[in-house]
Amino acid sequence: MNFSDYIIPIFIISIIVYSVVTRKNAYNSFVFGAKTSFDLVLTSFPYIVAIFIAIEIFNVSGLGDMVSTAIAPVFNLVGIPKELCGLVIIKLFSGCGGLAYLENIFATYGVDSYLARAGCAIAGCSEAIFYVLAVYFVNTKVKKYRYAILVAMLANIVGAIVACQITKVL
Amino acid sequence: MNTVWYSVVIVGLGLMIFNNPQIAFDTVLAGSTNAINLSLKLWAIYAVWLGLLQIVEDTKLDKKIARLLSPIIDFLMGKQDDKAKNQIAINLSCNLLGMGNACTPSGIKALEYMDKGSKYITNAMIMFFVLNTSSLQLIPTTVIGLRIASGSSSPADIILPTLIATTASTVCGIILVKIFSKFSKDKK
Repeated sequence: MNFSDYIIPIFIISIIVYSVVTRKNAYNSFVFGAKTSFDLVLTSFPYIVAIFIAIEIFNVSGLGDMVSTAIAPVFNLVGIPKELCGLVIIKLFSGCGGLAYLENIFATYGVDSYLARAGCAIAGCSEAIFYVLAVYFVNTKVKKYRYAILVAMLANIVGAIVACQITKVL
Repeated sequence: MNTVWYSVVIVGLGLMIFNNPQIAFDTVLAGSTNAINLSLKLWAIYAVWLGLLQIVEDTKLDKKIARLLSPIIDFLMGKQDDKAKNQIAINLSCNLLGMGNACTPSGIKALEYMDKGSKYITNAMIMFFVLNTSSLQLIPTTVIGLRIASGSSSPADIILPTLIATTASTVCGIILVKIFSKFSKDKK
């Protein structure tokens, strides 16, 4: 059994029990909170549409492949195999895209191969930067992101380099 | 964001004009359809988690978590008001526990409270953003699920390497943000 399967039900039970113990109205709180979901979906929807259109164009037009081929020599220097360059690039935009790419690697090289395991570590060590950027900031006035994207990308690439090295020995 | 978006759209659609222009509009529509599917899924997720998080707020449980994580939050994001701190605490705990879905609503709320109304992002917000993109989580549940589905002989043997890689990326992100914020102060 997976330990993390227990986390969510235990979490939900504990907060409701805690709410009952402290004599709060859990039902009213839940309904009030759930009501705010409507606004959140409406405000984030246009951003999600914009970024998903870009993701789809990026994948279908072959631009994604071109970028990963162009960047492969640089990634090879730091120890990221060329089969995984596409994964690192697509993961910047969308987590689902990354998982689809990963499944493809499973099918081509076998799920327990080095490439598959390194790919798993890459997929598990980072979130899609541009997706988080588009969704998390919907309720702020921020338009200029200064060095945020640069640092997030560097951190993700360091994660990918470590992932490729560590899966060789572990 | 703007630059990335228009570069991808212009170059991508430009490539399609030369390769196969007939699929261009289908591609755009497919993207938009994916967005609607995701938004519906997100709506369900938001409704559940915002409801549960409201219970957490009303019982003042979030203040307790925030007090517990306070030294870490103060070190990483400097002085924040209590409202923002509570949401940051919830977001970081969700990240650690691998409850990816619960991270988004608390993340949006945290940034809303951290927002100073300037069009420039603050150093503290960048730190929060980088913590979320480098996703420090104890167990990579989705990837393990995918490995089980693909018939791996030991699906969970990826936990330790992933933990090491994600720790490396998070630590590297924190150090970089700390260095950058030394040289680049918040703008109005």
